[in-house]
This record gives sequence, C-alpha cells and structure tokens, in this order.
Amino acid sequence: MTVDKTGLLIPRRRALLGTVGLAVAPLAAPHIARAAEPVKVGLLLAKTGQIAGQTEYLANGSFLALEQRNKMIMGQPAELVWLDEPSPQAATQNMQKLVQEDKVCAVLGGSLSSNALAEEAKAAELKIPFVCDNAAATDITGKNCNRYTFRLNTPVAVQSRMLAPYALSYGKKWYHITASYAFGQDILKTSRELLKAAGGTEVGVDEVPLNTADFSSFILKIRQAKPDVVVGGLSAGDLTTFLKQWNELGMKGKIPFVEIAICDTDIWGVGPEAANGTFTKLWDAFNAKNTPEEKAFTEAYLKKYGKPPADKAWMGWITARSLFEAIDTAKSTDANKIIEALEAWKVPAGDVSYHYRKFDHQMLVRNLAVAVKDKITDKYNYFDVKATLPENPADLEKIFGSSEEIGCKMT
Amino acid sequence: MLDILLSQTVSGLVLGGLYVLIAIGLSIIFGLLGIVNFAHGAFFTLGAYLALTLVGHFGWPAVVLAPVIVGGMGMVAERLLIRRLYDKEPLISLIVTFALALLIEASVRLIYGGIGQPFSPPPFLSGFQIWGPVLITNYRVAVLATTAAVLVLLWLFLEKTRFGRILRAGSRDPEMVGLLGINLPRVLTWVFGLGCAISGLAGLLAAPLWTVTPAMATNAIMPAFVVVAIGGLGSFAGAVIAGLLVGVVVALTIQFWPEASGGVMYLFMALMLLLRPRGLLGERWERFE
Repeated sequence: MTVDKTGLLIPRRRALLGTVGLAVAPLAAPHIARAAEPVKVGLLLAKTGQIAGQTEYLANGSFLALEQRNKMIMGQPAELVWLDEPSPQAATQNMQKLVQEDKVCAVLGGSLSSNALAEEAKAAELKIPFVCDNAAATDITGKNCNRYTFRLNTPVAVQSRMLAPYALSYGKKWYHITASYAFGQDILKTSRELLKAAGGTEVGVDEVPLNTADFSSFILKIRQAKPDVVVGGLSAGDLTTFLKQWNELGMKGKIPFVEIAICDTDIWGVGPEAANGTFTKLWDAFNAKNTPEEKAFTEAYLKKYGKPPADKAWMGWITARSLFEAIDTAKSTDANKIIEALEAWKVPAGDVSYHYRKFDHQMLVRNLAVAVKDKITDKYNYFDVKATLPENPADLEKIFGSSEEIGCKMT
Repeated sequence: MLDILLSQTVSGLVLGGLYVLIAIGLSIIFGLLGIVNFAHGAFFTLGAYLALTLVGHFGWPAVVLAPVIVGGMGMVAERLLIRRLYDKEPLISLIVTFALALLIEASVRLIYGGIGQPFSPPPFLSGFQIWGPVLITNYRVAVLATTAAVLVLLWLFLEKTRFGRILRAGSRDPEMVGLLGINLPRVLTWVFGLGCAISGLAGLLAAPLWTVTPAMATNAIMPAFVVVAIGGLGSFAGAVIAGLLVGVVVALTIQFWPEASGGVMYLFMALMLLLRPRGLLGERWERFE
C-alpha cells in the first residue's frame, strides 16, 4: 500500500465514507441495537438505617415479581437497578442518576414519607413514572399529587378513619405519641380531627424524634396522664423499641395501644412476650382470605427465602407487578404510555380489584384490622385478623375520599 | 410538679448510666491510646448480637461471655489495624475506624439480616419497683448497679494495680517503659480490648431495652461522643458526670419539650464547647504522644 499525499494509509475519501457508515449503522438496524439493551426499572429504597428492615422485604418482593416473569418485560431481558435512599436530598439525586445514567424507564420506591414527597416532585420534573410502594403520607396522592406518581399504601387519613372505631371502643380520652416527621405529623393531625368529631379529649401528646432509643420518660408521662387508649404514630424501629419498653414498664394490658400501618418486621422485633396492640395493615401472609395468586406468592417467597413474606414483601411485589405488567401492556418504555397503562391496570382481589384510581393514582386496597394474638406460637405469625375494612366492599371508594376531600389536582 | 421532676430525673439517671458505660470505653481508648475510635458503636452492636446468640443457645448465664468475646475481637482489630495509627494524624484514625464500623455493621447484617431481633430482659429481672412517684424496673436497677460496679472496678484496676501503673507510665513516657523491659505494644492491645469489652458490655445491657438491629450503633456512638466532649477528652470522672447529666437533661426535655429531646444533647455539647472548650474536667488523663 502506498501512502498518499496526506500521509494517510487509507485514502481520505474512503476513510470519510467508512466513518459515515459507522455512524449511521445503528439507525439502519434499530431493532438489533434495542434488543441488546435490557429494560431497566429503578428501585429507590433505603439500604441502611432504621427502615432497612422493611426495605429488605420491599426489595425482595419486587425482585421476586421480576423473577416470576423470568426477568423479562416486553419480551426483552429486564433488570431492577437498586440505589439507596439515605435522605430526601440524596434520594432525588439518585433518582436523577437512575434516569440519566442508568436509563431506567420508571422508578419504584419511597420507603419513608419524607423521601417519597421529594421523589414524587423529582419524578414530575424528570417526567418519569414513579410508583411509591411504602410511604403513607396523605399529601403524596393529596395536594402534592402529580400524574407521574402512583401510590400503593393507604393514606394515613384513610387508615386513621378505619382505626378510629377501634380506638373509640376503648374510650374517648386519647394520648397521642407520634413520630416527629411527615408520617407521624399526618397521623396526629388526622387523629385529632377524628377525636374532636367524636367528642373526645386529648389528654396528652408527644412528638418523638426519629431514632429515639429510650422511651421510658415518654411512658412515664403517659402513665401520669391515664388515658383510655394510646394512639401511636411511631415508625419502624422506634415502634419496636416503644413496645418493648411499654411491656418492660408494666404497661402491656394496662392501657390499650393502637396504631395504623403496622409492619410485620416491626412486631417481629418486639418479641412474643412484649408484643401487643391493635393495628391496621394492608396484607397478612396468614390471612385465609388471600387470593390464589397471593397464596402462590407466599409459597414462592417461602421457597426462595426460607421464611414467610412480611406485608412489605407483598407491597414490593404488587407494585412491581403493576409496573411490569403496565410496561408490557404499553409495549413501550415511553412515560406517557406507561402512565396510561398503569391507570388501566386492574387485577381481581376477592370482592374488589386492585387498581389505581384515575384522579389521584391511589391504589384502592381493603385494609385489615389486626390484633396481636393472646398467645404467639409461630415467630412469624403474630396477628389475628379482626376485620377487612371497609366491611362493605361498596364503601371502598367512599372511604378513600372524593377528589374534593383529598385535594388532588393533577396537572 | 415535684413528683414529675423526681420521676423523670431517676429515669434520666438510668439512661445516663448506660451513656456513661458506652462513653467510658471510648474515653479509655482515647485517653490511653490517643485514638478516636469511631468503631466503638459497632463493638456495642457486637455485644448486643453476641448476647442474643449466647442466650439463645446456652441460656442467660452464658451472656457473661459476650463482652469477653467482644474484647477479644477488639484485641485482634488492634493487632491488625489500630496499632498502625498511633503515629498518624487523628483524622486518619477517624477514617479508618469509621470504615471498620461500616465493615462490622455490614457483617452483622449479612449474618443476622436487617430486621430487629426480639430480645427481652431475663425472667429473673422482670417486674418493677414503685417508690412514690418513681417507677423503675428491676432490670434497669440491675443496669445501674452493673454500671457502678464496672466503674469502680475499672478505677481500682487503673489506680491500684501494676498493670494500671504501667498504662499510666506508658502514656507519659513510652520509651522509658520500653527500656524497663515492658512489652508496651502488648499492653496497648489489652487496653483497646478493654475499651471494646466495656462497649460490648453496654451493648449486652442495652439489648433487652433497645431494638437490636445492625444500625443500633448510631444510638450508642453519637451519645458517646457527646458525653466524652462534654466531660472532657480522656477524663474518666468527666465522662461519668457528663453521662449522668446528659441522661437527666434528655429526660427532663422529654417532659417539657419532647420534640427537642433528640437534639438537646447536641445543644448541651455546643454550649459546653463554647463556654469551656476542654469540657467539664478536661485535664488529660492519659495520652500517648
């Protein structure tokens, strides 16, 4: 080969033609290029901290949902990309990273209400579908709602309405002990409104900082106030610590304790001797009324992990399932098409169906009223299911509130 | 009102007793070795989990082994890692011990999982005492008594025994101690192990009260640093007084301003450092240069 005048071994014209050819090749074979890229869905859940016990199960449920479809979405390989959620600010940065670097088409997550509120705003900014699997703050599908956000957990206000009759059955002198952040403040506000409407009296209130290790001083205050019932709004490990010390200080069985949104992992950490209270929860692995699919999910989880699924595992599973099936239905990773498919997603669940309500993207789920068993013989089975709420399935829409009551104006 | 104050003060002293136990190990390590041990909370966590495991397999009498095992782990950590930091800047020891803390937490999470483990006080310490307005559980009385006994024994050990004299001499003049034929590196290993063992003991005592999770170190290490800062770095008596004071301040804040109870100890520390930077009794107790 001779060297031409420019010094190139390859003639310039041929080099230019080759470069152009390389550049346009992916355009000429788009299906081949896309098939090589897996469909990616982001998972934003805390990996450390006091909520990590719950997020482990949330993540397990989501990963199991993907495995049950052979890790395929739209006939293509799919993967979940899990990033940490250490704080609201870091969570939104990680959401940005998931979208811009990992190229996810949607995000699951929101372990804490404070994080979820920030994430939903970020999702709207990035125009990415966000399915919130755990956070319960009312505003998420209330005044902060947006069309990119979908949420599973029953809002605080609704769960409080479901629990109120049980609290009132003990009496009308309530003591509130709630966490000093979005979730707990939401419970306090709603519970006070319900108490006032019932003609009751608040005999004491404590807003407790997160990660409080010693509740003895709080329990002494409650003891002094002599309420008919204690209405709690503590989160995760704090609730576990409180119930342990509640029992230690001889209060178990003396004054009833109620709280919304109990998680199995919270009560497992308390232990059979100390566990007590009446709660609401979304799902229970030992509920005889679970659907055949849910029973199959329980079996699959037990087989994979060697222990029954906590309620959080089901929550991770059902939200992931809704998102994966929506992407399948949309046959696209386009955000708008996924949103439309999520709005249309519906699976039968006994007398009702699981679906996201159109005007606020809130999943309508009947909750369980549960009480800790008198005698616990199985270290994973702590609860007796007292009722499925609302008892009349026809009241489901009503109890979740109307558009005017909720204040969601989707843009 | 007096009843309430008395009741909360006693509750605060019990909490403070636990803080003292957590902080004293940190103070020993800093005072004698000059190392800021950010892994102190992780050894606290190890003490809690070892207690849980030993009780589950061998019953409550076996729980005394928990701090011994944690002390042994501390000695291994000192031999392999910490002794390389003695002549380094304090920032290096902070970073390395922080990394050690993360490693221990991750290991605990891998073995035991992330969820809380149930653990209650022993049956023979169940029940509580009511003295007028004061309510205190038998278990917390035992925690206070154990803390007091450990502090007295520790003081006697360091002040009245040959080993204690070697430690104090070694902190002032390690070269002379070496010339006298004493194996100082071995002594330092034992000191680090002792500090970790005390932290492990605190973890064992706290486990029936607090939630046993891999992340429980945070609830120990932060108050420990606050107590040591308020009491004075390296001061034994300062740590004791500061620990009890912090416990009482937190308890009284819970009574009158519960929302601030999480942050009041840091406010207390900030005020102390502004008014008296060396802490309450901030004379250097023992330190290696």
